[in-house]
Amino acid sequence: MATTTTSPPPQSQSQPSSPSFPFPREYFFPAFFTRQTNITIHHAQLTKWSALILAYARHHRLFRITISAAAESDLFFNRGIDRRLNPPDIREVLDFMRKDGRAEFLRPGEGNGAADASSSAAASGGDVVFLYWRKPEEWAALVEAFVEETAQKGSVLTVYELTEGENTRGTEFHGMDNQVLMKALNILVKRGKAQIFGSEDSLGVKFF
Amino acid sequence: MFLKHIDLTTALRPSYLPDEVLLFVQDNVGLYEGKFKLPNQQNGQVYLTSHRICYVDKDEPRKYSAALNLKEVDRYEFYAGFLKSSAKITIVPKPLKRSTLHNRVVSNTGVNSRGSTPSPAPSDNAYTPPSGPPSMTAATWVCTICSFSNPVPSNFDPTTANAHTPLPPCLACGIKPTLSQVLKAAISTASNRPAATTNTSQSGISSQEISSTAAPQSSDLLTFDTRTGGGQGKPDAGVSFHCPRCTFSNHPSLLSCEMCGAPLLSQNIPSSISSSEYIRTQSPGPVKDSNSKTSQGGTDFAESVKISFRGGGEKIFYERLKSAMTQRKWLLQDAPPAPKSNRAMDDSSPGSPSTPVQKTKTAGIAGLEQLGLNMRKNNEILIGSAFEDLEALMASAKEVVALAERFAQQVNGASGDVTSKDNSILAESAHQLGLITTKDIVGGGSSESLYFSELARNLAEFLTDDSRGVLKRAGGILTLVELWAMFNRARGGVELVSPMDFEKAAQMWEGLKLPVRLRKFRSGVMVVQARDRTDDATIKSILAWLQDLHEFPPDRDVAWDWREFGRGVTAQEAAERFGWSLGVAEEELLMAEEHGALCREEGLEGLKFWKNYIGSTDPALLQKKEAQEQADALIQRLKETGLIG
Repeated sequence: MATTTTSPPPQSQSQPSSPSFPFPREYFFPAFFTRQTNITIHHAQLTKWSALILAYARHHRLFRITISAAAESDLFFNRGIDRRLNPPDIREVLDFMRKDGRAEFLRPGEGNGAADASSSAAASGGDVVFLYWRKPEEWAALVEAFVEETAQKGSVLTVYELTEGENTRGTEFHGMDNQVLMKALNILVKRGKAQIFGSEDSLGVKFF
Repeated sequence: MFLKHIDLTTALRPSYLPDEVLLFVQDNVGLYEGKFKLPNQQNGQVYLTSHRICYVDKDEPRKYSAALNLKEVDRYEFYAGFLKSSAKITIVPKPLKRSTLHNRVVSNTGVNSRGSTPSPAPSDNAYTPPSGPPSMTAATWVCTICSFSNPVPSNFDPTTANAHTPLPPCLACGIKPTLSQVLKAAISTASNRPAATTNTSQSGISSQEISSTAAPQSSDLLTFDTRTGGGQGKPDAGVSFHCPRCTFSNHPSLLSCEMCGAPLLSQNIPSSISSSEYIRTQSPGPVKDSNSKTSQGGTDFAESVKISFRGGGEKIFYERLKSAMTQRKWLLQDAPPAPKSNRAMDDSSPGSPSTPVQKTKTAGIAGLEQLGLNMRKNNEILIGSAFEDLEALMASAKEVVALAERFAQQVNGASGDVTSKDNSILAESAHQLGLITTKDIVGGGSSESLYFSELARNLAEFLTDDSRGVLKRAGGILTLVELWAMFNRARGGVELVSPMDFEKAAQMWEGLKLPVRLRKFRSGVMVVQARDRTDDATIKSILAWLQDLHEFPPDRDVAWDWREFGRGVTAQEAAERFGWSLGVAEEELLMAEEHGALCREEGLEGLKFWKNYIGSTDPALLQKKEAQEQADALIQRLKETGLIG
C-alpha cells in the first residue's frame, strides 16, 4: 500500500490529489457501465465495481463518499468513453459492498457508533457512505500495533493526536476520518483494550 | 407387383408427382394382399391422392411404405366391417388379359348394384334379387289424394307408355294416378341424373323391363358389359340408400334422409351388411366364396389389395376414391395440348397451322408490339377454345392453369416495388403447395391429432423444401408468427390455419422426429429452426462475428479502444448480419446473454450487445481455477526438489 500520500483534507473525496490512478481494463469497457441483467454477469460486474471502488478509495485515501458528488467524479464517470454509472446503480454496488462489510451507509438517526451519532447527523442524509478498504477491525489492529510499538500502553492520547499528530506521521491511520477511527477505537473499547473519555471536541483514549 | 415402393419427403410423407393432389389421409390402417395380411404394413397412414394410394408405415416409413397407381386400378369394393372385422376397401388391379376379366367384372357389378338388400347370399351367381324394390323404382310419384310417395312401377317405360298402360293404384289410399303424373315423375328423375348415366340407366330400364323376373341378372350384366369396365364409380340407379340413423330407404338422389333429415354420405356406399357377405375374408361362411374368387383371380392377374381401416374414415376414403377414379386426373399428365394453343415462345405444340403467319420477322418496338399482340391473341384463342365446352376445358386444363399462373406472375412483376419479389415467391410456393393438408382431407373419424400431425408434416416440408428455402432465407430461424403468416399466405387465402392449430401442429414436430424444431425463448417467443441448429452453434457464430469487429475499424470514431473490445451490436445489426428477422435477432442475442457470452450496454443509441469482458463469477469455475493453481504450485515445488523431471 502506498503510504507516501500527502495528507488530503478528509472531506474532499471527489478531488483526487494524487497522480493517476491505474484504472482496470473494465473501466474502459462501455458495457461495464450498464447494469447487467444476467445474474452471473451481474454478480461479476458488482464484484469488479466493488474492487475498483475500494482500490480507488485506497489510492486516494477516501474514507467516505457522497453518492451524488461521486457520481460526477471520474470513479463513476469515464469521460474518455462518455459512459457513467447511474446513481441507482452506484447505490446497488455500494449496497453489495455493504453486505460484504466493505461499506456502510451513514443515515441520520441510525445509531451506528453511539459516540459520534450526533456528528454523523450533520452529513447529508443517506447520501454518505463509508468505504472500508480496511474494515474497522483492521484499523483497530493497526492502532493497537502502533500503540504497542511506540510503547504508549497506559498513556493517554487524544484522538487528534492519533490522526494529525507528529508521532503518527507515516502510519496508515494518519489523516484518517474521525468517525471511522472512532468505530475502530470502539472495537478496542469493547475488547477492553482501551477506554474513551472526555468531551466531544477533545476526546481522549487510554490504552491498556 | 401391384404395390410399389415409394419415396418419402423429409417429413415422411409421400413425395408427389407433378399435378398430384392430396385428397384424403387416414391413419391407423393396415394392408392385405389377397386375403393375407402384409406383416410389415399393419399400422400406417394411407394417403389418397388424385393419382395414387400411398401407404406410409408408422414405424419403418422408409422401408415399408408403398403405393399403387390409380390408373392400374380396375375396380374397388367396399366392406363396411362386421363385428370385430374392421371396414375395408378392396382394390383390384387391372388384369393382364382383358377377356377373362369381363365376366367377373360384370358379375361383380351386378351384385354390387343390388348390394343394398340384406339377404345372405351364398354365392353371387345363384343370388337372385328380392322382388321388393327393384332397381328401377328410383322414380316416385306423389299421390294427389293422400300425398304418399309411390314408387313408379319397374316396368313402366316413359317412352312407350300410353293411356292403356296399366298403372298401379296408390299404395296408401288406392286411388289410381293419372298417366301424366307418373310420366312426369319418371322423366324428371331420369333427367336429374348426369347425362352420361341417364343413357345407361335408361337402357338399363329397357333391358330390365324386357327380361322378366326369372333371369334379370344376365341381361342386366350384359347391359353393364356394354358400358365397359371403368364404370363402377357411376351411381347405379337401383340402389336405395339406407339412412344411417333411422334405416329408412331413401331415394338415391337425396342428400339428406327423408324421414329424419340425417345427412346421407353417398348414394353408392353399400352400407348394410349385405356387402360384407361378399368381400369379407375372415368370417367362415362367405370366405369360401371370396376364396375361390381370389385364388381364381390369382392365376390370371395380380392379387387384390385391401386397405383395412381400423380407425374409421373408410366411408370418406371410399367416396374420395370414387371421385378420383371418375375424374381420372392422371390422364391429364399426358393430355394433348389444347387446340391452337401455339404461343410464340412455346414451340412444343407440334403441327399447328397458324404458326407460320405469326413468325413474320419484325424488329424494334414494332416487333415487340407485334410479339405482344400475337401473344395476347393466342391467349385469347386459348381461353376462348377452353371455355367453348366442358370437354375442351378438361383437355386444355393444363394450358389454362399455366396461363393463369403466368398472369399472376406478370401482375406481381408489374407492381415493381420491394415486395414484388416476395409476392412472386409466395405465389410460386402457393403453387408448389398444392398438397395442402386441410381438415377436410384428413379422416375426421379418428381424432384431431391426425390433422395436427399431418399439418406438422406439411409445415416441415414447407420449411425444408430446398426449392423454396423458407428457412434458409430466414437465416435458419423464423418466428412462429412469421411462419404462420407465410404459410397462410402461401395457401392463397383459402383453407387458412388458425393460430391455435398451427401452434399445436408445431409442437408435434418433436414427437414426429421431423427435421425442424420449435424453440421457445425465455420471453415466450416461439421460433422455428432446423433440428441441427443449437444454441451453442448460434453463440459461436455471434462471437465469431464480434471477434471480427476487433479487426475492422468501426464506421466512425469511437472513444473506446475498439481493437481491445470491438464494438457493441444492436439487434438490427445482428438481423442484417445473419439474415434473421428483428425479433429473432433480439431473442438470439438475449439467449447468448443468458448464456453469459454477451453483455449489454444501454445507452442513447439503444440496447447494444458486447462480448462479455466483465467475466463471470461462476463458483465452479473459480474452484476449478484454484485447484489448477494449487496443482501447478505443487508440481512446481516437486520440480524444485527434483522429485520429478
